[in-house]
Amino acid sequence: MDRMNQSETERCGNQPASEPRVGVYICRCGGNISDVVDTDHVAEVCKLIPGVTTAKVHTFMCSDPGQQTIIDDIRQEKLDRVVVASCSPFLHELTFRGAVMRGKLNAYLYEHVNIREQCSWAHKHDPRGATAKAIALISAAVGKVRHSRPLEKIRLANNQRALIVGGGPAGMKAAADLAACGLSVLLVERSNRLGGKLASPQRMFPTGAASGEILSKLESDMRSTGRVEVLLSSEITRVGGFVGNFDVTIHGPLGPSGSMTDTNVSFGAIIMATGFQPYVPHDGEFLFGRHPAVMTTVALQEALAAAPEGKMLKVNGHEIRRVAFIHCVGSRQVEGVHQPGTDGRLNKHCSRVCCTTVLNQALQIRSRFADTRVYDLYQDIRAYGRGHEQYYTDASRAGVVFFRYHGDEPPAVTAEKDASLHIRVKDYLSWGETLEIEVDLLVLAVGMTPGPCEQIVDQLKLPRGEDGFLQEIHPKLRPVEISVNGVLLAGTAQAPMNLQETLAAAGAAAVKARSMLVKQHVELNPYVAQVDANLCEGLGQCVAECQYDGALKLIETSRNGRTVKMAEVNPGLCVGCGACVAVCPNRAINVNGWRLDQYDEMVDGLVRELVPA
Amino acid sequence: MVAQTGEKRYSDALVIGGGIAGLQAALDLAEQGYKVMVVEREASIGGRMISLSKVYPTLDCASCITTPKMSAAAHHENIEIMTYTEVKSIVPDGDGHLVTVTRKPTYVNADKCIGCRLCEYACDSEFADSFEQGLGATRAISVAFTNAIPQKAVLQAEYCLSCGLCLRACPTDAIEFDQQPRQEQIAAHAVIITTGFQLNGLNIKPQYSAAQSANIISPLTLERLLAPHGPYGRVLRPSDGKIPESVAFVLCSGSRDRTIGVPYCSRVCCMYSIKQAMLLAGSLPTADITIYYMDIRAFGKGYEQFYQNARAMGVNFVRGKVSHIDVAPPDDLMVHVEMTEESVDCVRRQKHDLVVLAQGMIPQWNPSGVSTVTIGEDGFVATPDLASPCATNVPGVFVAGAAAGPKDIVDTIADAGAAAMVAARYLVRCGSKESAQPGGGRSVRLELAV
Repeated sequence: MDRMNQSETERCGNQPASEPRVGVYICRCGGNISDVVDTDHVAEVCKLIPGVTTAKVHTFMCSDPGQQTIIDDIRQEKLDRVVVASCSPFLHELTFRGAVMRGKLNAYLYEHVNIREQCSWAHKHDPRGATAKAIALISAAVGKVRHSRPLEKIRLANNQRALIVGGGPAGMKAAADLAACGLSVLLVERSNRLGGKLASPQRMFPTGAASGEILSKLESDMRSTGRVEVLLSSEITRVGGFVGNFDVTIHGPLGPSGSMTDTNVSFGAIIMATGFQPYVPHDGEFLFGRHPAVMTTVALQEALAAAPEGKMLKVNGHEIRRVAFIHCVGSRQVEGVHQPGTDGRLNKHCSRVCCTTVLNQALQIRSRFADTRVYDLYQDIRAYGRGHEQYYTDASRAGVVFFRYHGDEPPAVTAEKDASLHIRVKDYLSWGETLEIEVDLLVLAVGMTPGPCEQIVDQLKLPRGEDGFLQEIHPKLRPVEISVNGVLLAGTAQAPMNLQETLAAAGAAAVKARSMLVKQHVELNPYVAQVDANLCEGLGQCVAECQYDGALKLIETSRNGRTVKMAEVNPGLCVGCGACVAVCPNRAINVNGWRLDQYDEMVDGLVRELVPA
Repeated sequence: MVAQTGEKRYSDALVIGGGIAGLQAALDLAEQGYKVMVVEREASIGGRMISLSKVYPTLDCASCITTPKMSAAAHHENIEIMTYTEVKSIVPDGDGHLVTVTRKPTYVNADKCIGCRLCEYACDSEFADSFEQGLGATRAISVAFTNAIPQKAVLQAEYCLSCGLCLRACPTDAIEFDQQPRQEQIAAHAVIITTGFQLNGLNIKPQYSAAQSANIISPLTLERLLAPHGPYGRVLRPSDGKIPESVAFVLCSGSRDRTIGVPYCSRVCCMYSIKQAMLLAGSLPTADITIYYMDIRAFGKGYEQFYQNARAMGVNFVRGKVSHIDVAPPDDLMVHVEMTEESVDCVRRQKHDLVVLAQGMIPQWNPSGVSTVTIGEDGFVATPDLASPCATNVPGVFVAGAAAGPKDIVDTIADAGAAAMVAARYLVRCGSKESAQPGGGRSVRLELAV
């Protein structure tokens, strides 16, 4: 594992061997930066920074001509270091590393400076200050990059198979996609059957297809590949490692004659298809749990599947003359109006599928049970998808009566003596009139909340968004990836989605997983700790400080014929946090790409006075 | 006259349309080792997205998201991009497809052109620039736009005066007046349709009077006005250059309306109008901004919160249907609204400086006559299999993004990944050479049994 070139440290010393030639490129970001920061002035001043050979301004550095400028200058100006001052490195650091590589320069002889989020956007009303700050930040980066050394990505063997967590539609689709391309897949499902929420019979919008048919199609698609191993009634109890080398302990019926045992397996990638849980209303929310005639859309779906045909809908033997739906239960919650969940959080998000679910169910009732009246209490009808609007039109034509309430004025439900329910609603379809209706059944259109996956989330430190769902890196740039490399998101673990959207998301996750898994090696960023063998005395303070299991340990090694202790880094597990660097009394450990001498240079750069002639 | 080139070329996959859907699908396939050709009708890849200002719900600048994908595709060793090229026919051929394309003449030798734009600066013939939605001018010979890929000049013959100024200006003798359309044939195993959308006409509802006023504009025009590098560099209304003090957005003005043949929801208008309203509130802090709507469909991840932020910022949301718009001389607009929220004034009249009509999304491309791919009642490519969202009726032909119905960028990008995945499966089944599998499908069970 130790791929470090110890002699390099000695060779380089504290000063660059020959004075580096740094190119500085300042992006206008089409005005996002240059409307505030005087980019031309920045370029002029940057030319005075020691080591800077050229400084240029471009409207869009990230565009092809912008990147080409860098490549041309590397050749023509013989640049050996590059600094780009533009947007957040989160957006474009990799873009410019790519350009630098195309210019045949080591990708790590590059520094990225954020003068958009940190200058033009943050100091919009102080152009002079923003400009001065941009210059200071660039000066620091130049100082740092002058002392950068070429680095190589860490290459480690890749375990070319995938773990899929969750056996609902997303998990099955991702498994089928990967296996059909020849990869081996293990699918772990905690319940004793496949299908997830799709396993309960229902008519799917927008085609009216039976869920069972779609489910069996997905399952046979997956099974026919012959490369998906399905473990039911099993759970992930431990997960560690990193991309290409995740170590996972599965607790399931794997022992002799199906006894429950633990098994350890390694995977290159993990797809989180842990799905959603329907929101469970609070006790008493719209009388839920306190009145037998209040149920959720999930329960109604089962009731509809079981209901005998007839003039009137029957639920649990009761004839339902009038049924009301209330939308947005557990979604679009408003501070001060709704009660937070046990975690103290409000579900402010829209659950996306409930509107069309209600319309679908309302239409089924109207078409099967002519004498059951349907009322629909909504905020906005979000029938956005292909074919969904037709449900709305059809529901209106079928005599569903709509009421529109405002989120901060939810309907009030009270029980009547005769087992029916009384609903008062301020209705904005009749210009704010308060209307009262009596119903025999109240159906709460419950939203989606994240599915359970705490074990994995905690152990891999996966981030969740404000809405509690797993948080992707960027909704457009990296929509199915999460901040832990090698872990991918499929379906409603990420956000509410309908079936088609779930399957598309699962396909998108599978395609990313396949791109990772077809390679025999994984490549990791080289920003990991490196021990200077000449300075390390094996004190072990760094090991005690390290928060990442197995990333740093003390080994015995021989030096000048004596056995001595020394710290050793596992580059796969090290995240480059630098906690070890701070505690070493000998300055014997450093993070590659972020060495202490580079910090010194950055500080010097920040305070450097640059006065144009 | 169309010249036929002899040789037939091979590609694992062919992507029709170089917008965000096509680029993402191409990148996802190329990353797996497949050779991909991207055919783009326009002079640059980037599609609609590259002309937008900022995109919801993150308010990232659209260029910042699009240009790296454009650049990544253009530099990928497995991707070949053919711009200014149209697909003439897609014919099944064995388990693949024979695709005939026409390379339209650019009158510029792409190998010689260095993108210096000296021809553009020399050209004397100016006309309305479609990239700027007609608000700026471009020249008969030009590079499509600042961050276009490729950075090659294209001459538009209908505007050319044949004066020869470009010919003299070009330092590399790249101008070729005698170019002809050229047909090429590509044998591709899989085809992905990512032809996107267009907006229905601004005048589709004559009662909204768009033909009578330059200040009733398309949302795409407002995108250009809001873009920091847009035609005016700030938001001015087109008729007289006044800074608008009161701006109205009329939602569903081209969708959810049977009378204009678009009964469906265009899915993106609510959110982009909210976004535009927020950006306007930023650039014109004193302006009144009103959104007239039927339902606010903020359904995606983080969208509801985005909507609530706009409300908190003071954007005025009025639930009501705009019945008609009159021009209030000289340049203002009187919007007549049937209100559904208020107990008084069931019909209200409101004066605005600038009105944005949320036009509906309709298909950009009809496969009829080119391919046997079927379309739905809405005109978008049909996806008959609920269990396989990107599959069309033709095996080996897939669809992604707004070509299969209105979609926003987030959903389009996920869809493109899914299309790349089904296409990859199809290529594996066809035994395409890149599908050689490392790992060879070892059974997991073997190792579990240890």
